Amino acid sequence: MRLNTPEAVLRVNRRALIAALLAAALCLVAVSLPIWEFSVTVFARKSGNTFVGDEKYQAVKAEVEAEAARYSEETGAVTQLFENVTERTNSKGEKTSMVAFEVRQAMRRTGWDFVRSPLASGRILLALILCLLAAAVLLGAGMMGAMDTDWPELDLRKRGMRMGAAGLGLVALLLVPVFMMSCNLAFTRWIKLASDGMPRPGTEALLHTLDGFLYGGTAGDKVLELMGGVRHGPLWPLLATLPLLVGFGLCAVVCADGDPRHTLARALLIAFVVVLCVVILYPYYVMVITGFRSNAETTDMYFQHMFPTKWVWGNLKDIIDRGVLRYLLNSLLLSVGATAIALLCGIPAAYAMARMHFAGRKVFLGFVIMSQMFSPVVLLVGISRLMNTLHLNDSLLGLIFINAAFNQAFAIWLLRGTFVSISSEMEQAACIDGCSTVSAMLRVLLPIAAPGIVTTLIFVFINAWNEYTISTVLISTTSNKPITVGITQFSSFNMIEWQYLFAAALLATVPVVILFMCIEKHLAAGLTAGGVKG
Amino acid sequence: MNTIPIRHKWEPYVWLLPSILLMSIFVVFPIGIVFKLSMSEISKAGVVGAWNNFANFRAAFRDPAFGTVMQNTAVWVVSVVGLSTLLGFVTAMALNAEFRGRRVARSIVVFPWATSLVIQASVWNYIIKGEYGNLNNVLLNLGIIKSAVNWRATYQIEFAWECGVGIFVTIPFVAFTVLAGLQSIDNAYYEAATVDGAGFWRKLWNVTIPLVKPSLTVCTVLNIIYVFNSFPIIYTITKGAPANKTDTMVTLLYMRAFYDNQKGPATAMSVIGFAILCVCAGVYMMVTMRKEEQ
Repeated sequence: MRLNTPEAVLRVNRRALIAALLAAALCLVAVSLPIWEFSVTVFARKSGNTFVGDEKYQAVKAEVEAEAARYSEETGAVTQLFENVTERTNSKGEKTSMVAFEVRQAMRRTGWDFVRSPLASGRILLALILCLLAAAVLLGAGMMGAMDTDWPELDLRKRGMRMGAAGLGLVALLLVPVFMMSCNLAFTRWIKLASDGMPRPGTEALLHTLDGFLYGGTAGDKVLELMGGVRHGPLWPLLATLPLLVGFGLCAVVCADGDPRHTLARALLIAFVVVLCVVILYPYYVMVITGFRSNAETTDMYFQHMFPTKWVWGNLKDIIDRGVLRYLLNSLLLSVGATAIALLCGIPAAYAMARMHFAGRKVFLGFVIMSQMFSPVVLLVGISRLMNTLHLNDSLLGLIFINAAFNQAFAIWLLRGTFVSISSEMEQAACIDGCSTVSAMLRVLLPIAAPGIVTTLIFVFINAWNEYTISTVLISTTSNKPITVGITQFSSFNMIEWQYLFAAALLATVPVVILFMCIEKHLAAGLTAGGVKG
Repeated sequence: MNTIPIRHKWEPYVWLLPSILLMSIFVVFPIGIVFKLSMSEISKAGVVGAWNNFANFRAAFRDPAFGTVMQNTAVWVVSVVGLSTLLGFVTAMALNAEFRGRRVARSIVVFPWATSLVIQASVWNYIIKGEYGNLNNVLLNLGIIKSAVNWRATYQIEFAWECGVGIFVTIPFVAFTVLAGLQSIDNAYYEAATVDGAGFWRKLWNVTIPLVKPSLTVCTVLNIIYVFNSFPIIYTITKGAPANKTDTMVTLLYMRAFYDNQKGPATAMSVIGFAILCVCAGVYMMVTMRKEEQ
C-alpha cells in the first residue's frame, strides 16, 4: 500500500473503521440471537381473593398441577410451575390477595429458533443477517488491495463491490424497522385482536405458524389461549443494532465524501427536511385515505391498515348528491368576484401610489398598512349589521364585497411593490407622446407587470376561497354557502361523517394547493419586500 | 424619481377613489358600528338603544369566562407566534440550503398555507380522536404504541393540540417571509466571514440574523395579528368546551354574539381586541414606514 500522505492514512483509517463497524453489527446480531429467549407458558390461571395456603389456593393449585401433568403426558415436555402472589389493601382497608399460577415449558426458544421458524418476522431477521453478511463480504472484497485508492481511480469491479456493499447495508438498515413492526404485529396486536373475538383475515395462518414455532404444532386450537403466556426476552440487543447500522450508513457516506462534519450537517439537513415534509404531508394523507373509506372503517377502533381496504369512490358521488358542486360553484363565484373587484379597485390605487406625487400619499399609505390589521373576525358584529342595512346579508354579493374590501390593502401593497420595481421611463415617453395616463398604464405598465398582477390575483383568490368566519355568520341559506361552510354540514354535534367531510375537503383543497404552488416563488418576496423597493 | 407627470391636481384622488370607497364602506363603517354598539344598550331582539355608560364593558369584564379567556389568548398568541417563528426560521434556513429536491420541498412546505384553516382543523380533529383517530391508527400499525392512547384526555392537552395546529399552519408563512429575506442576502458577506474564519454559528449570529431582522420583524407583527384573530382552529376542534376553558378572545366573542345573543358585551370585547390589535398595528406601521424611508 502507498501510505505516503497523511490524507491517505486518514482515508485508510476511515475505511478500516467502516469495515470494523460492519463486522461489529454483524457480530452483535449473531451474538444477540441466543440471548433473546421465548419461554412458553402452556397454562395460566389467576385466582382472586385467594391467600397462600387456604382452601381455594389448594384447590386451584391442584387443578393447575393436573393440567401441567396432562400436558407433559401428551407432549412429553418437561414443565415447571410458577406462582405469583399480589397482595394489596383495598379501599375498605381489608387485605386482599391474588395468586397467579403459570405452567411453563422448560424448553426455551432462542433467537436461532426464531430465525429458523416459518414466521415472517423470523424470515425478515434472516434476510437482515444475510444482507449484512453479503455487505461485509462485498466490502472486504472491494477494499482488498485498494484501501487508499480514491473513488475515481478505482476500477469498475471494485466500485461495483463497494456500491453493492453500501446498497446492502441500506437494505439491512431498512429491514430493522420492518422487523420491529412485524414482531409487534405478530406478538401483540394480532393476538390481542384475535383473542378479543375479532378474527381478522390472516389471523388463522399466523396462529398456525406461531403454533409451529412455539409449541411444535401441538397446541392446535388452544394456541390463542396459551399465547397469552409467551414472554420474549430482552430486546435491547436488537435496539442496539439500530444506531450501529445508522452509524454504518453514515460512515459509508463519509467514505465517499471525506469531511465528517460536513457530512453530519448534510445528514441533519436532509433528515430535517424529510421529517418536515412527512409531518406536513401527514394531514393530507389522512384526508385522502379517510375521504375514500367506508363509514364503518373511519370510526373503527381496530382498523389495522394504513390504507383503505377498499377504495370507496362512491363517496364522491354521495357528496355530489348532497350539493357539494353547488358549494364549489359558490366558492368559485365568490373568489372570482372578490378577486375582480379587489384588482379593479386596487390596480388604479397602487398605480397612483407608485407613480404619482400628491398630498396625503403618506396618509393613505398609513391607512393601507393599518387596514391590514383589521380582521373581519373582530368586526363580525359590525359587518353583519351593515349587511343587514344594505340588504346584502345571506347573499354571495355581500361576501364578494367583504372579501374584496378586506383583501384590498394587501392587493395594493403587493401591486405597488411590483409597479415600483418597474422603471417608469417607458410610460414617461408614452405620456410625452400624448398618450393619456390611463392608456400609459394599460398599454405600457400592465403587460410588464403581468407576473406581479397574477401573483396578487391568485393570492386574493385563495384568501377568498379559504375564508370561513364571515361566510359562516352571513350565510344561512344552504344554496348560497361556499365550500368552507358547506363542508361543515357533514359534521354535526352528535355525528360526523368523516369520509364525506374529507372527500369534500379534498375537492376544496386540491385546486388551491396547485395554484399556490404556482406562485410560491414570488409570494414571499412580495409579502415583505412590497414596500422596500420604494 | 420613478414618477410620471400628472395633468390635474385632483387626478391621483380619482385613481384612489374606488379603493377608498370600497374600504370605507366595508371596513371603516363596520368599525364605526362596532364602536357605537359597544357604547349602546342592545335589546335581546337587537334594537339599538341609548348610550349606557359603559355597561357593556363592565358586563364583558364581569363575564365568568373573561379571565380564563384572556389568559388563553395570551398563551395562544405567545406560544404559536414564538414557536412558529423559531421553527419557521429553521425551516427557511433548511430550504435556503442547496440540495436535490429543494423545489419539491418548497412546494410541499407551502401546502398548509394554501389550505383553508377550517379544513386543516377538521383533519387534525380527526387525527387526534381518542378511539379511532388516525394518529392512534398509524402509531399502532407502525408498532410504536401497543394500545390506543387518549390524545385529548384533559382540556389543557386539547388546548395544547390547538396551539400545535396553530403552529403547524403558521410555519409556512414565517418560513417564506424569512426565506425571502435570506435570499436577498449577498453571498459576499458569507464569503468574507468564511475568510475571517467564522464557523456556522458565528455566521448565523453575526451575518444572517441582523440581515433577516427586518423581514422577521414584519412577519412577527403580522403573525401576532393573524394568530390573535385566528378563529377556525379552536372553533372546529373544541368549540371552547368545556365551559369556555379553551376559548380565546375571538371565539368567545363569536359565541357571545351569535350563540348567547349578548351583542352588547360581545361588541365591547371587539373593541378591547381592537385596542390590542391597534397597538400591534402601530408597531407594525412604525417598522414598515421606517423601512419605507430608507
